[in-house]
Amino acid sequence: MNGNIYQPVEMRIERAKDEAPEVRTLRLAFAHAPDREAFFRRYRVGMFGLYGVPGEGESTFCVASPPGRDYIECTFRRAGRVTAALLDREVGHPVTFRGPYGNHFPIESWRGKDLLFVAGGIGLPPLRSVIWNILDRRAEFGRVAVVYGARTVADLVYKDELAGWAGRSDVELVTTVDPGGETPDWKGRVGFVPTVLKEMPAAAPGAAALVCGPPIMIRLSLPVLSGLGFRPTAIYSTLENRMKCGVGKCGRCNVGGVYVCKDGPVFTLEEIQRLPQADL
Amino acid sequence: MSPTPSLREDAARLLREGRVKLVIGYRAHAGGGQGPAVPEGACRAPLAGGGGRRPAFIEEAHRAGELVFDGACSQNLAAYLKKPEVRARMPLAIVASEAVGRSLVSLAAESQFAQGALLALAFRGERYEGVKEVEELAALAREAAPEPRRDPDIGRRLAELAAWPAQRRAEWWSARFSRCTRCYACRAACPGCYCQRCVTERNVPQWVSTAALGHGNYAWNMIRAFHQAGRCTLCGACASACPQGLPLMLLNTFLAAQAAEQFDVEAGLDPAAKPLIGTWDPEDDNSFFT
Amino acid sequence: MKSLSADRLQDLAAALSAAGYRVVAPVEADGVVRFAPWSPGAAIRTDAVPVNSLKDVFFPPSEAIGRWRRSGDGFDAIETRPEAPKTAALAARPCDVAALAMLDAVFNWDFRDSFYDARRAATVVAALACSEADEECFCTSVGGRPDAAPGADALLRPADGGRTLIVEPLTDQGRDLAAAASGVLQDGAAAPDAPPEVRRRFDIGRVGAWLAGNFDSPLWKELSLPCLGCAACAYACPACHCFDIQDESGPNGVVRLRNWDACGLGLFTLHASGHNPRPDQASRWRQRVMHKLAYAPERFKVAACTGCGRCGRVCPRGMSLADTAERIAAAAAPAAGPAAGVPA
Repeated sequence: MNGNIYQPVEMRIERAKDEAPEVRTLRLAFAHAPDREAFFRRYRVGMFGLYGVPGEGESTFCVASPPGRDYIECTFRRAGRVTAALLDREVGHPVTFRGPYGNHFPIESWRGKDLLFVAGGIGLPPLRSVIWNILDRRAEFGRVAVVYGARTVADLVYKDELAGWAGRSDVELVTTVDPGGETPDWKGRVGFVPTVLKEMPAAAPGAAALVCGPPIMIRLSLPVLSGLGFRPTAIYSTLENRMKCGVGKCGRCNVGGVYVCKDGPVFTLEEIQRLPQADL
Repeated sequence: MSPTPSLREDAARLLREGRVKLVIGYRAHAGGGQGPAVPEGACRAPLAGGGGRRPAFIEEAHRAGELVFDGACSQNLAAYLKKPEVRARMPLAIVASEAVGRSLVSLAAESQFAQGALLALAFRGERYEGVKEVEELAALAREAAPEPRRDPDIGRRLAELAAWPAQRRAEWWSARFSRCTRCYACRAACPGCYCQRCVTERNVPQWVSTAALGHGNYAWNMIRAFHQAGRCTLCGACASACPQGLPLMLLNTFLAAQAAEQFDVEAGLDPAAKPLIGTWDPEDDNSFFT
Repeated sequence: MKSLSADRLQDLAAALSAAGYRVVAPVEADGVVRFAPWSPGAAIRTDAVPVNSLKDVFFPPSEAIGRWRRSGDGFDAIETRPEAPKTAALAARPCDVAALAMLDAVFNWDFRDSFYDARRAATVVAALACSEADEECFCTSVGGRPDAAPGADALLRPADGGRTLIVEPLTDQGRDLAAAASGVLQDGAAAPDAPPEVRRRFDIGRVGAWLAGNFDSPLWKELSLPCLGCAACAYACPACHCFDIQDESGPNGVVRLRNWDACGLGLFTLHASGHNPRPDQASRWRQRVMHKLAYAPERFKVAACTGCGRCGRVCPRGMSLADTAERIAAAAAPAAGPAAGVPA
């Protein structure tokens, strides 16, 4: 009855897709059906998990896929020992997973409302689960706009899905790359995300903005969102503190009075502004 | 406390004249803080916590009056040269007992600070010797210790251990290392343990287990000691810092003696000396490779 | 009233051992008194605060939380259970017992940590009221006292000038322990000794109020300058509970270990990208103090400091949480006269 909360479940790599240099998406299937059922009973978009290879350790990433699938996906960049080990694993190999952990985006409160997604580089994965969750239930929500940028064309993740969203009439997608990062056949914008963001329409009543990406992009995007009429309580982001346990024990993700693994990773800008900024 | 007035005057003058931005020394500590009790027979220096003395970081000349120096000033202040926030305040002056002085000379030999970045307010015993450059500190150290100084009690214990069969010795050390919690106070207190990323914290690959368990503890403590061979000045800061009272000075002293016997190296006496670890000579004795 | 001659603690331990308890108590090895498994013949030291705390009994420095056997490209998980033998923890100080409130809270505030909980359930704690306090003790500054141990299962109270220990069971587990040891307990009156004076060093309310508004104070830099950035204080602390998780593999299998970790160590918050939100010792010392005296009280309604004073006893530079709190209390009261601002 009192089980080992650190015991991960077994997953199998169903698909591996290289998104960008050293960035890969793994589609993972649950090895055991009860684990899958337990996961999807609790999973809401925004939650994260710990992906592992026994012998190397566990790494924390968001769950990048929406509910309603029979798999989960994660997208990550090579950074240390665990991500290197995950990159070494091939289709058919087992990996481990713990989760879902943390809080989630208040998606039910957004019904009928407009949504603006702002992402940079590898900041799109945390928002991708939300975007797909919204698109799965498209009729329940208002306008959906996505502003996504990366340093170069090669650094854009989910290129196939971006093409798919671009082709939909119910999604407004703006992709951009930093000046100098464009290729001759690049059809998107050239410019930094905050600059491109300025051209988006003003926030409709009740609209929410979701921002994920490099800290500098977030910092420069916030005043733009503010100018578009998004209040700090309507702007959402995720914090990426280091974690080890994921369940509020190990103390690593503590910042101010908050444990990011339990109180987060999803926070409104207003909540983030109340935290000690220097510790973020 | 006769030397104190001139120490304070020199410190104030160096700060006032802008020759240094910071003076690191000792101040009196009222009330608590006698430091950990000194276990009888344990191999550790007295006054591990600094006794009634605490480090002082003085940036304004008018505060130089806080400085004190006496036999209770046992902490090795040279360890602060590892802290980025201290290095950012160079040039600085450091109150240097003989032990601190030898550490500074050793660090100079390993190019751990630029010429002119550091002055010493040097003591020999409790006698104040004045403001010294590193070369002068080395001369003082050679004068104070013309022969290598070794604790005779530690020598006796080493001889005792050496007489044991290897297996018994390994078990004896294992029992001691089993108490290590990997708090790394030994490393933190050592001026010479300045690697930016310690080998025990490298995980690609993982060289040393970081668990506070038998094999990792043995490896960690041995590696720490071996990494100091020929560099350790036997100041005792690591052993004093160890909350578990591990007899680290046995290892340090043994390795210092080996460095002296086999390579004629005595750390902390010559700022121009080539570091034993980090120097390779084709004439080195290779006979241990079999 | 049940009591025990103070020189018969070893007999108490032996009786409990015979009754099937594993006994842990302050015992000496190489001149250092540690909380460790007692074995017959070992003296139980009540004259020194052990260098480690009662925490170690429930939350050891390292323990396995997962195991796998290799098989082909994969791994077979091996169920990993806590080692939790029936244990009697003897002569723990009231400050150590007080810290169990913090540990209980963090290991159970949502997800329940079966490793901690199993040992907690299997352990009966017989505290020892203090008969002496040293210069580092400050339990009275953080709401504790040297002569009561709420949360313990039994209290051993010095009496008759230290010659006797009154055994006061406080819970059913404590009564079980007293029953198991009935052969070494005697009936009869004993006069409890007066508790030692533990100097109140700061006003915790004033410290808390200062912390709430001074995250960016320059005092953090000054207070942290002597800190060398080791984990001696955190590992000696009865309430510190941060840990790391590390895998170790051999040719046949893998063990996943949870190892103590500490916010004072530079690598604690270092990201794989190289970014470190706490890049210097000032921000790390601030985190330690804030977590203990501001965040934990806010989150768990309990301070993560019980005034045991171990940090001050083990710090290679003689720093302590009490010194820091004293400085903060002084900074919070600039009008307090010449004492304010005096280096503590």
